[in-house]
Amino acid sequence: VSDPRWFVGVDVGGTFTDVVLANADGDFHVDKVPTTPADPREGVIEGVRHVLSRASVAPADVSRVVHGTTLATNVILEQTGSPPAFVVTEGFADLLRLGREARVEDDRYDLFFTTPTPPVDPQLTFEVPERVMADGSVLRALSAEAIAEVADRVAAAATPAVAICLLNAYANSEHERAIARALRDALPDAFVVASTEVWPEMREYERAMTTVLCAYVGPVMAGYLAGLEQQLAELGIGGPLEIMDSSGGVMSASLAARRPVRTLESGGAAGVTAAGLVGRLIGARDVISFDMGGTTAKVGIVRDGRPGVISDFQVGGKGSFGGTRAGTGFPVKITTVDLAEVGAGGGSVAWLDADGALRVGPRSAGAAPGPACYGRGGTEPTVTDADLLLGYLEPGGLAGGVELSTDAARAALARGVADPLGIAVIEAARAVHDIVNANMAAAIRVVTVQRGIDPRGLTLVAFGGAGPMHAVRLAEMFGISSVAVPLAAGVASAVGLVGADLHVDVVQTRVIDLADADPLELEAAFTELADQARAELADEPGTAFQITRSADVRYRGQAYHLTLPVPDPPLTADDVVALATSFRQRFEDTYRIALDLPTQIHNLRVHIVRVVDKFAPRARKLTLDGPSAARVGERGVVFPGTGTGTDTVVTTLYDRTRLVPGDRFAGPAVIAAPESTIVVPPHTRAEVDAYGTVLLSLYDPSSDASPGIVAPDS
Amino acid sequence: MTSTPPIVDDVITAEVIRGALLVAAEEASIVVVRAAHSTFIQEGADACAAILDADAQLVALSTATSLMHAASLRCSLPALIEDVPLATMRPGDVFAMNDPYRGGIHANDILVFRPVFAHGRVRFFGGTLIHVADVGGVSAGGLAALATDTFAEGLMLPPVHLFREGEPVREVLRIIEGNSRTPDKAVGDVHALVAGVNVIGRRLDELIERYGAAALTRFTDEWLDGSERRMRDELRLLPEGTYHGSFTIEGDGFVPGRRFVVHAAVTVRDGTIDIDFAGTSPQSGGAINASFSQTMSGVIYAVRCLVDPGIPMNEGCFRAVRMQLPPGTLVNPTPPAACGGRVITVTAAIEAVLSALAQARPDHRVAPSALIHVYSLAGTGDDGRPWVSLFYDFGGIGGRHGVDGPDATGCYFLGGRSVIPQIEPLEAQYPFVVRRSRLVPDSGGAGQWRGGLGTEIVVEMLADAELTVRGDRIELPPPGVDGGGAGAAGVYAIERVDGSTEVLATKQVGVHLAPGDRFVMRTSGGGGLGPPEARARDAVLADVASGRVTRARAVRDYGLEE
Repeated sequence: VSDPRWFVGVDVGGTFTDVVLANADGDFHVDKVPTTPADPREGVIEGVRHVLSRASVAPADVSRVVHGTTLATNVILEQTGSPPAFVVTEGFADLLRLGREARVEDDRYDLFFTTPTPPVDPQLTFEVPERVMADGSVLRALSAEAIAEVADRVAAAATPAVAICLLNAYANSEHERAIARALRDALPDAFVVASTEVWPEMREYERAMTTVLCAYVGPVMAGYLAGLEQQLAELGIGGPLEIMDSSGGVMSASLAARRPVRTLESGGAAGVTAAGLVGRLIGARDVISFDMGGTTAKVGIVRDGRPGVISDFQVGGKGSFGGTRAGTGFPVKITTVDLAEVGAGGGSVAWLDADGALRVGPRSAGAAPGPACYGRGGTEPTVTDADLLLGYLEPGGLAGGVELSTDAARAALARGVADPLGIAVIEAARAVHDIVNANMAAAIRVVTVQRGIDPRGLTLVAFGGAGPMHAVRLAEMFGISSVAVPLAAGVASAVGLVGADLHVDVVQTRVIDLADADPLELEAAFTELADQARAELADEPGTAFQITRSADVRYRGQAYHLTLPVPDPPLTADDVVALATSFRQRFEDTYRIALDLPTQIHNLRVHIVRVVDKFAPRARKLTLDGPSAARVGERGVVFPGTGTGTDTVVTTLYDRTRLVPGDRFAGPAVIAAPESTIVVPPHTRAEVDAYGTVLLSLYDPSSDASPGIVAPDS
Repeated sequence: MTSTPPIVDDVITAEVIRGALLVAAEEASIVVVRAAHSTFIQEGADACAAILDADAQLVALSTATSLMHAASLRCSLPALIEDVPLATMRPGDVFAMNDPYRGGIHANDILVFRPVFAHGRVRFFGGTLIHVADVGGVSAGGLAALATDTFAEGLMLPPVHLFREGEPVREVLRIIEGNSRTPDKAVGDVHALVAGVNVIGRRLDELIERYGAAALTRFTDEWLDGSERRMRDELRLLPEGTYHGSFTIEGDGFVPGRRFVVHAAVTVRDGTIDIDFAGTSPQSGGAINASFSQTMSGVIYAVRCLVDPGIPMNEGCFRAVRMQLPPGTLVNPTPPAACGGRVITVTAAIEAVLSALAQARPDHRVAPSALIHVYSLAGTGDDGRPWVSLFYDFGGIGGRHGVDGPDATGCYFLGGRSVIPQIEPLEAQYPFVVRRSRLVPDSGGAGQWRGGLGTEIVVEMLADAELTVRGDRIELPPPGVDGGGAGAAGVYAIERVDGSTEVLATKQVGVHLAPGDRFVMRTSGGGGLGPPEARARDAVLADVASGRVTRARAVRDYGLEE
């Protein structure tokens, strides 16, 4: 009896919409259709229709559709939403307009800098006579007349959405809730959101910005999702639509419509989630997620099976540290995968700076004109051109539907790099390859070493169109000896979508000195938060949840905290003491200084997971026949860093689609696969595990590949 | 061994080392800011980290922090090396200093250095610098607006060991503690500085192990030379000649109506820029003097605004810039002149240099900006312990050729983060309630390119407190340029609980506030550039719609029809 429950994952990327159809038995089918930027739903429906028909699965047998979307990010960056009404405490109408800009790096010398304009309109901003104090007490009560008056004024403005943010509401949300109630009554069709519903944390600027962006995107997101649900229903799909959030979990479409800012890193989160799934299959709890596409490389981390997350995200942020520099974009207080993104992909352009130094990226030739070797009119040398000349891609082979031209690649690299530097073309190719690796190494450093995480001993999970081509050399730079390339590496993010559970993160600011914290009071506050999180995840009673609790702790007087785990209920006085002790230890580990100061809780956090039916890869029997059936030829390939310079090395070519579990062989090898080629340098062993994952183990690394930054060639 | 020409390896290695050095400086600045206790730092406004070499040359500077300190670490390190010769330094040593006459800034800006060794020799230094919490002086929190000498500004630290071969020198920490009204915070901040240099030390150790000290030094030497070359190439693009600029400072808070002038003669010739401050007023008896390192930071910043911003900020940039800083003047005072209010003089020097250079590059013309308006509040908490903190808001930036000035933003010079503090964290820590915080309509100087708006904050005390204020460009608000109007003047005032109002001087200390008293601070607007009548009508209408300009003023200043 076939299981009727199929899951569909749809990840909308810049160029392609990736679709995965999978079930809990490990069966899966993949598809790729062009993204339709004007209305991404067209591509989504097209892809879903396609994959269902190719797999001969009836739409009625689809029990979940999980969607990764960049809609919220696009609406904010392209400013295609409409400003919401903004309701704020009297005296603070300019809260979001008061400059909180930051300039970093070269921008600091720009006399003509401009600051981003927040999506609020002063004529749509309404002050309310009320005032709550930092301790939650009420300095100025909110009158019924004031509520009625603001409701009238907001109604007259006739905006599609309303954002409410009152000062100190994190400490007492009564006033916010009263206004939200009145506005919802008065404006049943409007999208109304209060700051404490979204993220009740201290610091009004970030909280208000998060709320306003929610209201800015909300109507667009709600319309988009309602339309998509309807189109899926028309296809005959009865299962619910769910959306990947920014931290690697899934939420219902209705919650995503109410809290659209939670989807800002939807796409990136899907990739890190996929890496986590791979880690689970290969028995690695801690992995580095490395996704290299055409324009960017995204690096994330999975710790103890969960994506590493941050809570200070910048939409449109600038700077070379993953765009997370405070003040360079719009801050959004949501839990987001800790992602370092660099402009390093297959399409990244190589160029010479004013010093004559060779640089690669961040500009990308993209899909059009694309790398020079695509022969679509691109003349600038790119990473893909270099990879082709080094032998990693098949000359004349197909990529993105075009034939790869070695001549065009050689001409571009000669003109752009080799001739001006006076070096051979193959050396130029090698330099481009190495520099893009160095750029990506900086991203790995951000999410590992800069966070105090030693990358050695972790597994690098490589995917995306170009990731598996660069992975082993990157691993080498950090002393990482294990690389995993999942099946369907080219669409791994979509696989991540169908493998995720539902979850939600909630926070509440509670400033409490640990020295006199009452465990009962803390327990009550945590219980209240957990109840709120449960309500967001499911209406039906009897659902099982996994709850993890944590607290932001700091020395009294500091502005930055460390987040520490809090034990399951009931909390005891010993737990409170242990929290202070482990904070002191973590602080000393992190900053290498020991301080004897009072400690303080600042925020309480609850992470709650609802485990659902999802894709579970199936293990297949290992064979011992050897990989000869997959061997398809030989080619000369250049392997920098292995002592052979730019000489070509005779390298065995494998066809990944013919590899079976149990196959193992040693490098040098190149494994060609649809949309994602794997490079297996010398001193590397490849092995196909029961799930079809290609596991690469680095052995006998060159003597100077110590865990520094980059092993130079020797 | 390599089988390829060395050039390729050098290109790659250069890119990698360059990145690693910048990341190390950056990481140190992040660690310092995160570990700091001083509210001023927590917003990242006033911090800096750098890598320097054994010749005290600046190698790499943190890239997201204030540019205010671009020169300070490199100016101070020679003094440390003079007192503690390189040969006597040991691994694990960490030093602190703050003497404004030896490269420092003022008492609260403490500089910390850690030597990095290879083969028993000092090769590099990690340096960090922040405005630490209270270290004594006449005014709590380091805002000695009316100090008359350095002794009134707080503890003076010659180069001293903070750590000797990894062991803390407790006597020194106790001296800092003993001189601070908030010893926990002051020592916490000093530890944050140490954490920062330790990060640089570890990263440099890794790089030295990886590449060897000789190769690393060769690379940094070339890197510095490259910056110098690029600076000179860029300077050659400017028309040669001598250009003059000056800026008038409204006063030092002592003699009403006494103005000070910063004058700069800027000579561009053959890839070098020479900036002579002859003609600048003698040093002040008050606190507005800028120690030489601060003036240098301002000058290098102003020059860099006219060249390729991508030139790495290191010693090479300084080599192409000559500065004549006449001793005994505002821009290079002699001891024991107070220096805490130096931002007033440094920014005047920047305006003077920018105004001179605009004659060479008219498309880089900018109108003067408002300054940071600072105040401090101090009192005694319910627990009997003193509390004190520095607060600030920003005024408007001047109009720029082709674009309006941003509202409520730190002047260019602060670079990095320049943010208006948030209200909730302040109210959670201090006994006051903020009644209003807003942009002030009509405060931007009228012009073809309008000046940015200033702000207004109203702080109502819930407990007794002592107030100190230090502002500038209030009596003489940022002037307009080329026919533009001046920005609106800011104000410091108190609305007493009895209904009376007192306007304060722009520099005043020890003003008592009782519960219910309201402190009102308005920051000045930026100056306008170009005649207002030349302003595009759409821009005027947009200003009215956004509330930046009232309709009445749009009619009056811009001739908008009623």
